[in-house]
Parts: sequence; structure tokens; C-alpha cells
Amino acid sequence: MVFKPVPPLPVTAEVNLGDAYITTTVDAVVNWGRRNSLWPFPFGTACCAIEFMGMVSSHFDVSRFGAELVRFSPRQADLLIIAGTVTYKQAPVLRRIYEQMADPKWVISAGACATSGGFYDCYCTVPGIDEIIPVDIYIAGCPPRPEAFLEAIVQLQAKIDGESVKEAKKVGV
Amino acid sequence: MKVLSPKGEQLELLTVNMGPSHPATHGTLRILCALDGETVTAAMCEMGYLHRGFEKMVEQGTYTQVLPYTDRLNYCSAMMNNIGFCKAAEKMFGVTVPERCVTIRVILNELSRIIDHLVCIGANLVDLGALTNFWYFFNPRESVYKIWEKLCGARLTNTVTRIGGMYRDVYPGFSDDVRKVLSEIEGAIKDVRGLIEHNKVFLDRTRDVCVVSKEDAISWGWTGPTLRASGVDHDLRKQDPYYGYENYTFDTVIGTTGDTYDRIMVRMFEMLESISITRQGLDRLKPGPLNADDVRLSLPSHDAVYHDMEALINSFKLIYEGVRPPAGQCYDATEAANGELGFLIISDGGTNPYRIKVRPPCFTQFAAFGSMIEGTLIADAFATLGSINIIAGELDR
Amino acid sequence: MSTPSRAEPVAVAATPVDLSVRLTADALLEIVAARFGLVRDPADRWDLTVRCSADQLRDVVQFLRDDVRLRMDMLLDIAGVDYLSYPDHREERFAVVYLFKSLAFNHRLALKVMVDETDAQVPSIHDLFKIADWHERETWDQFGIVFSGHPNLKRLLNHHEFVGHPLRKDYPVQKRQKLSVNDPMLDQLVLRLRQNGYTVLEST
Repeated sequence: MVFKPVPPLPVTAEVNLGDAYITTTVDAVVNWGRRNSLWPFPFGTACCAIEFMGMVSSHFDVSRFGAELVRFSPRQADLLIIAGTVTYKQAPVLRRIYEQMADPKWVISAGACATSGGFYDCYCTVPGIDEIIPVDIYIAGCPPRPEAFLEAIVQLQAKIDGESVKEAKKVGV
Repeated sequence: MKVLSPKGEQLELLTVNMGPSHPATHGTLRILCALDGETVTAAMCEMGYLHRGFEKMVEQGTYTQVLPYTDRLNYCSAMMNNIGFCKAAEKMFGVTVPERCVTIRVILNELSRIIDHLVCIGANLVDLGALTNFWYFFNPRESVYKIWEKLCGARLTNTVTRIGGMYRDVYPGFSDDVRKVLSEIEGAIKDVRGLIEHNKVFLDRTRDVCVVSKEDAISWGWTGPTLRASGVDHDLRKQDPYYGYENYTFDTVIGTTGDTYDRIMVRMFEMLESISITRQGLDRLKPGPLNADDVRLSLPSHDAVYHDMEALINSFKLIYEGVRPPAGQCYDATEAANGELGFLIISDGGTNPYRIKVRPPCFTQFAAFGSMIEGTLIADAFATLGSINIIAGELDR
Repeated sequence: MSTPSRAEPVAVAATPVDLSVRLTADALLEIVAARFGLVRDPADRWDLTVRCSADQLRDVVQFLRDDVRLRMDMLLDIAGVDYLSYPDHREERFAVVYLFKSLAFNHRLALKVMVDETDAQVPSIHDLFKIADWHERETWDQFGIVFSGHPNLKRLLNHHEFVGHPLRKDYPVQKRQKLSVNDPMLDQLVLRLRQNGYTVLEST
């Protein structure tokens, strides 16, 4: 066989990717990897954390969704689940943890208190963590059932499926 | 930071901040300590990261609207808080709830105590590295949650009592469900004890770790399992009996040394005692009226509301304004999972509580924590933190 | 594998509690009235609450703790009260309620100290009961009542940038206050090291 030299790849392939076949395949693979291996950071403050523990336990088993590996270091996690009330004392801590997480990262606000302050409409409670960090999925409930947590993970997985590598996630830091 | 130790040697201490977002702090606690190698030389604890303004919020609504707030105090055993508050409010009215209500409250109280201890010990063992026990203990909790769901619709934050009685009666089949779950819990306890009781790692990590003497425990205001682990025989169910606890046969579990091992094992054995009390309660459950027959507290029957003017007005007032205790100051306490849970209620005779102060049992334990861990290793500090069962909802209110 | 070599926590048979040892409310009142001239608080129709002045507080508390008939060795709680909007209240604005219990005899007593708004000061009892330290901090945090002699009267529940005392009746319930930066708390740690006998040469 005569060996034919392989022509060099075009160098300008990166700038305007467009919806080429190659990017959609890359999207599919990357998103598949990301959605099925979410590593949650349980920022559990109050009662919702107990239901989070229930979700992680063997009965409801979040492991089926690939998200059982809870990591308590923001550097190692990609899914921040805020389960419980966030007070103003805790708010800078939450902000810092969010900033320390590396991209790609997603946020689930679990429960009424994290979503809107719950029924603690008073001097110390942050009325919803979206005042501090951007949120992807909100879960209603006080506390939400573990099935609701699982539904949130499923919805987040669907959201991740719609993402694309050509849109680098702009996070308002 | 550079320091001179009391002995005069120059040391370089490492300042380590643990919390408020930390896997082993079980919620939002912060411990700032200065370490000499691995030994804690000084520790300052900070709390308030979950201060949600319970005491301010309850002043905004009626007495019945206080109940959902009480659920979220010690959320691992929410019913005990409900029962504690209702007991204090009923004392102000001078009303005694009927026998059936009392028995149901005792059953729910003890089952809640069991699930609280399950979380405490499970989480404590996770901190020590024994993860399997956590799953073993959470499975019976799910079964108990199913019962709670059938009983009142909620798994965790139940709001199951009302001032003067209960939200609703137990469902048919409640006794069988509870008996089944009690054997499940016994099985789980047996499994976990088999795993830890003769395990050298567990024993070395918890024996003679952070010993608290009787005098210290009393001066720090400790109550509940931690006080009993330090050797003090004090249980409100025995010393200040309520709800017929004097008629139940159960033992008080006392520790010998006051170390972390005792604090864990006291809870373990207390669960067995609570199982016994629950079985006795189920045997005593007899049909009868559920709510106190007091116009100030209980809603009149549907029939009466439709046919009797006074009952209609009574129902209207009770639903719109809630109950009105007489003006004054009242304190009452129950033996919750962590110790004496007290409510100081100050009423001005109106529909809203004037002031409610919660006496949280784990507040005293966390206040002592800083001094407890000084002189021990950092690893021991976490073994101890789990054993004193800090629930941030109760601690910070 | 070493087997446990010392006694396990034991389940003791119920020690029969002699409830007759418990002093009645009237007997308790008689003892403290005889010694200090304290009177009963009219607001408490269910338990025993005695009124006490701020000057007498430390002596009364020491007496309650050490007297052989009373032996109130446990301080359960310290609660602040703001009577600003209490109907027909003619006395001082604040009150501090101390709840005591005797483990030996099982009787309880509450002590109420009325505190004036303009001079909201009460002596601290942190040396008599260790738990008073944090309870007094909380009461100061929520009401602004100063406990003189307290070693570390700092905020406990609210954040360190909080201005005001939220449980006072004139503090609006929804007035939120943001926190910019958490308290580093190094000064408190240095204080603690000093209390433990260390000399801090250089604190970073």
C-alpha cells in the first residue's frame, strides 16, 4: 500500500463552530457524562437536609441517577444543593462556596426556605437564595419529599441535555 | 500564631476553622480552634447560622400557628416539640387532655425519640467512618415516616397535636404498623450493635474521649442522654412524670464515665427502653374521646355548628382568632430526645403569644463543647460533636 | 480485638422517686422571703416566680444554689422579656427571667428581675453557673440588656454587623440586615488562649 500523508486539520476550527455534526456529537457525549455523574455538594442547613439524607439512603437511592457521591469540598463537586434556610449570617459562606466551585456547576434550591425564605419572613432570613447565587432548579415543599428531590435531579439532567459546549457558561461572579 | 505555652515553650499554633459548612458539623456550626499539632489548645464555637427568628415569628400569629414553627425546632423528632408546646399551653388553660390523647401522645413521643436517636447515632458513626450503620438506621426511619404520613400527611414536620388534643385520631391499623416497625428497629439496633460494640476502632475512638464530670454537666445545664451518660440519674419522665409515665415500666439508662462511648451507648439503650414504652402504650390504647371537651379549645362538632348559634360563634372565633390563654407567665417542659425541652409562654390574654422562649436542650451541650474539646485531639473533637447531638434548628431557633 | 473491660452503660431499675421531698411552692417562697424579703410575681399563676432586684441577684442565686434545703443546682434558662406593648404594664420595660431547678429535690423556681430601659444592666452570674455565659449573651443580643461582669458579651444568634436588638417590640420583624463578611473571631480565640494560660506573641 502506498502511504498517503494525512492533510493537516484546519486551525480555525474553534472560533465559529455552529451546529456542525461534530459539535452536536461532542455535546451529546459531554452532556451524557455530566448528567449521569453529578456530584452533589449538600449545603444542608435545616430540616430539608434530613430529607436529602433520606434521598441518599437506600430506600430512595439517588445512586440510580449517578449522583450518590456527595463531596463536601466545593472543588470536587458540581451540583450545589441548598437544603434548608439560609440566614444572613450564612449568606457570605454560601456565596463563597458557590464561587469556589469550578465550572460546570449547577444549583438546586431545595425547599421553601431556600427558594423564598419559607414562612420565616423576618429579620434574619434571606428571602430566597437567588438573591445571592443563580439557581437552576427550585424544589417546593416544606420539606420536599425525597421523590421531589429526585424529580429535581431528573429535571436538571434534562436541562443539562439542552446545554452546548459552544456556549461557555457565563456565571455572574 | 506564635504563643508561649503555660509551660514556657514557644509553640506555633495552627488556626483551623471548621464550619459553618462542614460535613461533620451536622448543620451550621462553626468551631474555630488553635491546634498544637493535633491537639486542640483553644476552641471558640459560634452558632446562629440557622437563627430563623422563631421567637419573633410566633409573636406574629396565633397560638395554633406556633405549632408549625415548633416542628422545625428539633426537626429529627418534630412531634416531641409539638407535644412539648401543647403541654405548656394546656397548662395555662388548666385543661387535662383525655386518656386516649395522652396515650397516643406517649406513643408518638417515644417513637420520635427513637428516630431522633437513630439519626444521632447514625450520623455520629458516619463521622467515625462507619457508614454502613447510617443505612441500617435510616431504613427503619423510612418505615416510621410511612406511618407518620398515614397519620397526618407529613413525613418530617408533622404538626400533629393541637392545643387541647390532636389534629386527628390514629388510623385503623396504626397499632399493627407500629408494632411491625418496632421489630424492624430492634433488628437494626441489633445489626449496628453487632458492628460496633466489639470493634476496636470504635472503642478506641470513643472510650475516655472528652470525659465530662457530673459537676461540670450540671453546671453547664445539661439534661437528657448526655447528662445521664455523665452518671446523673435524672429523667423528667421519672422525676417529674407527666402523661402517665409513672405507670409505664421502663429503666433509666445511666453511663459510668461520661465519655463519648457512654453518650452513644446511652442513646442506644434508651431506644430499647422507648420500644418497650411504645409497646406498653399500644397495649393501653383504648377507644375514647380524643380532644379536651373545653369550649375555649376544641372546635364544636359539625352538627352543632349548623344547628346551634353559640356553637357557630364559638367555631368562628376559634378558627379566626385561635385560642386565648389567660394572661400570665407559664413554663412547662417535657423530656425531649436531647433533654429538657421547655417553653416559657407569656400571654397578655390576647390571641397572639406575647413572648415564647424555647429552652433548647442542645444549647447547653454546644455551649460546653468548646471547653470539652480543649486538650483533646482534633479527631476526638468530631467524635464528640456527633455524640452531643446538636440540631441547629433547636440550637439557633 | 479487645473486649470491653469496664462496665457498660447500665439500665438501672427505676430509683423510687420520693416526690414528698419536693418543697411546695409556698414553702419555697417562705424560705426566700425570710432570707431576702422577696415577693411572688403576680403574673405567674401556675409556677413559682419571685421578684428580685438586680442588686440582690447574685446573693439570691448563690443562696438558691448552695442552701441545703433548696439546692437549685441547675440553671435551665435565662429569658429576656420586653413589656413595651403589654397591656396595663406600669413597671420597668424589660425583665430577665431566670429558671432554676433542683436535681436532688425536683422543685423549680423562677426569678424575675425587672430592668429599666435607660439603665439596662444586670450583674452577670456566669461564674456561678457556667451555662449563664451563653444565655446572657443571647439575652443581650436579642434585647440589649447588659450583663455587667460578663467576659465576652458578644452577639450569639445574630451576625456581628447587626445593629439593634431584634426581639424588642419596637424592632420591625421584617427589617433585614445584610452581612458583608463573616466575623473572623480571631480576637475571641486569642482571648480564650489567654484564659487557658497561653501568652500570645504573634496572632495572625
